[in-house]
Amino acid sequence: MKVKFFWVFVSILFATISIAQPPIGIQCPEISLKDVDGNLVTISSLKGKVVIIDFWATWCGPCRVANKTLRKLYASYKEKGLEIYSISCDYTQNAWKRGIKADKMTWLQVFDENMATSTKWRIGYLPFTFILDKNGKIVAADLEAKDLETAIKKYL
Amino acid sequence: MKNILLGVFLIVSTQLTAQIKQATIQASGLTCSMCSKSIFKALNAVSFVKDVQSDIKNASFIVSFKENETIDFDALKKAVTGAGFSIASFSAIVHFSNTSIKNDAHIDIAGKTLHFLNVQAQTIDGDKKITVVDKNFVTAKEYKKFSSYTTMKCYETGVMESCCTNKKGVEEKVRIYHVTL
Repeated sequence: MKVKFFWVFVSILFATISIAQPPIGIQCPEISLKDVDGNLVTISSLKGKVVIIDFWATWCGPCRVANKTLRKLYASYKEKGLEIYSISCDYTQNAWKRGIKADKMTWLQVFDENMATSTKWRIGYLPFTFILDKNGKIVAADLEAKDLETAIKKYL
Repeated sequence: MKNILLGVFLIVSTQLTAQIKQATIQASGLTCSMCSKSIFKALNAVSFVKDVQSDIKNASFIVSFKENETIDFDALKKAVTGAGFSIASFSAIVHFSNTSIKNDAHIDIAGKTLHFLNVQAQTIDGDKKITVVDKNFVTAKEYKKFSSYTTMKCYETGVMESCCTNKKGVEEKVRIYHVTL
């Protein structure tokens, strides 16, 4: 019986390790992607702010719903030091730009060309969020939109 | 008794071991498959799965396997369907060693029977991509298309039928995967 539990434990451990990368607790690896105007925006430039990194796409229904929450959060906490870095996994820049307009996204928007960053970061599904503290350390990942507010308040 | 049953199960269960390098699965459903964590998590929870990578660009999941484990395509299918989706396409990288294949014929590889459809007679060697075209591994339309390449009943049932072999003593109900290159 003990052996069985051991293997169940090992399986869960493997499953957990393989899900989210990079892991919580490390300094966020640099991301440098272009915004709507073609200017590079780096994650490291946001140090001093609590950052929500949000992987999304216009074709992802749940992402569009989550954008409503992000909009409210941004309006409430921008002055208190919140920044949102939305990374689009869209197939075309046109679709992305239309989506930004339609969802009234006024925070940082960057485009993940060929989905290189989302692949490197092993994003399993969308939307997928990470929270960085003011020092740029990853403090939370894979939060649902409804849990974001409680999480960011802790670090602001 | 439990051990004996387990042993029997292991012998008759579908086995594809080291020859299978990875599988690529596309899922479809009422919502987009990449907008749900359910498939990703279900595939990760399958016992012989080492790792799941989502390829958001191609809306597919790339599944790699633990070493020396029995790989069961049906278990992967079950994970996807259990998450509320169906499989739109399912392919795997299989290692062949100078294996002769021909249309509408079986080959045994790693204790597993593959039934090739819509292929030219040839010898295949090295890592090749095979696509599983069994019921519920492809869309209904694709399944119908591939059913025209065989008259054997095993394509309908997915298991060894008397039509499929003239070997005596072949165990009934052995799983056959119908595949194409």
